[in-house]
Amino acid sequence: MDLFKVVLYSVSALTCLACMVLLVRQYLRHRVRLLLWTALCFGGLTLNNALVFFDLVLCPSCDLRIARLVASLAGMLFLLYGFIWDAES
Amino acid sequence: MTGSLHDFLGGALTLSFLLAGVYFLRFWRKTGHRLFMSFAFAFWLLALNQLLILVFGISDERTAYVYLLRVLGFLIILVAVIRANLSSRPEDRPPF
Repeated sequence: MDLFKVVLYSVSALTCLACMVLLVRQYLRHRVRLLLWTALCFGGLTLNNALVFFDLVLCPSCDLRIARLVASLAGMLFLLYGFIWDAES
Repeated sequence: MTGSLHDFLGGALTLSFLLAGVYFLRFWRKTGHRLFMSFAFAFWLLALNQLLILVFGISDERTAYVYLLRVLGFLIILVAVIRANLSSRPEDRPPF
């Protein structure tokens, strides 16, 4: 179960990081602002996944639930801001 | 206090995932690009993941299995972005 958790949380963090990198590359190529907001969103989600790995695998006695949720929520707020203000353009 | 804050943030996050999915669905209906449909589905998986974490609680062993939904969501997004950039079909190409 522990190995399963390590693999699961690692894959989650790495796929999220890969998404962020691809989106940043697309933004730098096309300069579409919605891509920037989406990349920032995945930055927040990547931070969340990194904190999940640290919290549940490296430091099980820690409680980083609030920090994890804040990181994800900050990322999603970037995305929603982009949807509301920049999507039409 | 911490428990209430955790529930509040978790609920806000679940709603934001759902809302993002709706926005991507709207983009898909408007443009027909499959990338947006994939994003919508993936964000709804993330919403379901977050909801189930709140329901089961962080100390529940089943929470680790629930994280599979999150991994699946990110994989769907990753594959969709890669496909969009490699595909020659108009409905698969990114709309930018």
